[in-house]
Amino acid sequence: MSGSNRLAGLKARPKASSSAEVRKVDDVGAARGFVDRSPRKKPGRKPSPRTYQLHPKVMPDIGQAIAEEAERQGVTQGQLIEQMWRQFQTGQGTG
Amino acid sequence: MPVIVMASPKGGVGKSTCAVLLASEFARMGAEVTVLDCDPNKSLTRWANHGMPKGVTLHSDVGRAEVVPTIKAADGDGRIVVVDLEGVASQLVSRAISQADLVIVPMQATALDAEIGSEALALVREEEEALGRDIPHAVVLTKTSAAVRSRVQRDLEKQLEEAGIDVIRPPLVARAAFSELFAYGGDLTAMMNNPDIVTGGKVDKALANATSFTEAVYERLK
Repeated sequence: MSGSNRLAGLKARPKASSSAEVRKVDDVGAARGFVDRSPRKKPGRKPSPRTYQLHPKVMPDIGQAIAEEAERQGVTQGQLIEQMWRQFQTGQGTG
Repeated sequence: MPVIVMASPKGGVGKSTCAVLLASEFARMGAEVTVLDCDPNKSLTRWANHGMPKGVTLHSDVGRAEVVPTIKAADGDGRIVVVDLEGVASQLVSRAISQADLVIVPMQATALDAEIGSEALALVREEEEALGRDIPHAVVLTKTSAAVRSRVQRDLEKQLEEAGIDVIRPPLVARAAFSELFAYGGDLTAMMNNPDIVTGGKVDKALANATSFTEAVYERLK
């Protein structure tokens, strides 16, 4: 058995691969117990890379304002402090 | 070029061995072969890590989401695609079957293998109905005795044929060389010509069996 010319005669048939057709195949499989068994990702949120903790005490009105601004922007207070630090550095000409 | 899918929800029936033999023998015939390792045990990746025959390309870690687009991409470029599946009943298996030009269901000549393997055959038939196209499929008996055709094997072949199921002949005989391909990589010809490889089995007989098996598969792809 040799010669690629023999193989040249082999043809692939057109196959169903649209998302609707794949869904149909999934349904047929599921009915026979062929279900999704892909390994699940680890549950829960990923650990934050922000591992350094500050312990500043500020005046209550400033602390309240920082908390409100972070909430308004949808970021953590730590991220807000990072933004402030970057702006400070820019103002200093070191950023 | 055709897509050949090895399917059985039972593990240890010889899916990966069939895949390696077909990939290496078709490559020996001059084909460019793409092999998809969809088995979390990564048998084919382990085989490939020891060295792949010329003309064979491997895709590892192909999961449920990737199997259809990966087959599609490989199918279009004039290659024979061989898909080795996991030995469980999963959506990955049903999706791969939908892309097949030939589904091969390997089974040992035991009642348990036949019962679990028949789940794959039933799934193929239901997919044929749902998709409105024929999906050619066949059973190959594996790990059979080289010396005798057992009564159980004869009975199973008879039952399969009576049920209208295509049975590939020859079956794949239990050969040490088939198992040791996974330890040495490459193909049986390289194994036979390398004096450093000691298999404890008859590589020439294994090669003759693999060649006849591949020829029988080829006949079904024409």
